[in-house]
Amino acid sequence: MRKLAWAALGAVVAVALVIGVTDRSPATDEERAHRIGRTVMCPACSGETVTDSQAPVAVNIRRQISQRISAGESDDEIRDALATAYGERVILTPPKSGVAGLVWVLPVAALVAAAAGLVLAFRRWSHW
Amino acid sequence: MNEAVASRARPRTALWVAIAIGVAIALLVTVLATRDPASSRLVRSPLVGRTAPDMDAPTINDAGRFSLSDQRGKWLLVNFFATWCVPCQQEHDDLVRFAAAHTGAGDAAVVSVVFSDETSDVRKFFARRGGDWPVVADENGTYATAWGVARVPESYLVAPSGLVVGKITGGVKFAFLQAQLARFEAGR
Repeated sequence: MRKLAWAALGAVVAVALVIGVTDRSPATDEERAHRIGRTVMCPACSGETVTDSQAPVAVNIRRQISQRISAGESDDEIRDALATAYGERVILTPPKSGVAGLVWVLPVAALVAAAAGLVLAFRRWSHW
Repeated sequence: MNEAVASRARPRTALWVAIAIGVAIALLVTVLATRDPASSRLVRSPLVGRTAPDMDAPTINDAGRFSLSDQRGKWLLVNFFATWCVPCQQEHDDLVRFAAAHTGAGDAAVVSVVFSDETSDVRKFFARRGGDWPVVADENGTYATAWGVARVPESYLVAPSGLVVGKITGGVKFAFLQAQLARFEAGR
């Protein structure tokens, strides 16, 4: 019975992780542009993404995102082009490589360490 | 006895604190009031040290087709502007002076790129205020986005090699541009 409970818990965690990390591609170019725009800060605004802002620079960047999508560029290529011109500070999703890439790895490492810690703790408690 | 001393000391402490705060506020107001709000300044940009983004477009003021690659061998000031922007209006005379000062020697040139503005307004602006350098339209913000322009006026100084050496925010001044040109020519 206990093994079954552990297996069920493991299955739930695995399914949740798969759903969480799976890249669900938007249906249309417009939705994709909207999604990319929400990950780029408006360089002339305070706390607004280019999707939310009506500043001229945000309007320009939205147009460029749409044009680049039409040209067949990937999300990362579009964000890289904007980072080249405006700097990494406008990109809300951290890069996947370099030191900043640690923000993607550390939470997973912390989760694994926490799970291992829990398993060890449960085993120790079960022996008492 | 001690209470009497404390009651005499308290008003004096409060007085000194009030004087210190007053002096700090006066200094802040003086600094803010005397600072030129539209002064040009060099700022950091990811483009500095890189090859200037390509620009090849027809001009809107009968200056023919403008190609950035044709400008190699001389300094180029790429000025992003709009006629509705007050600092852009204020810097225009300095741009006219800068362009005129270098036309003869041919060592430096200016190109203006329209930022979120109507072509007809830009034509009228140049007809009224002068300036015969190429003016490039940027309908979809392609150039502004490639150069990382956040708000106008913004200008970029491109070396004869084609590398971007400086980004200037705010309205430019003739003396400032000359000084920067001399500084970059001297390799400083």
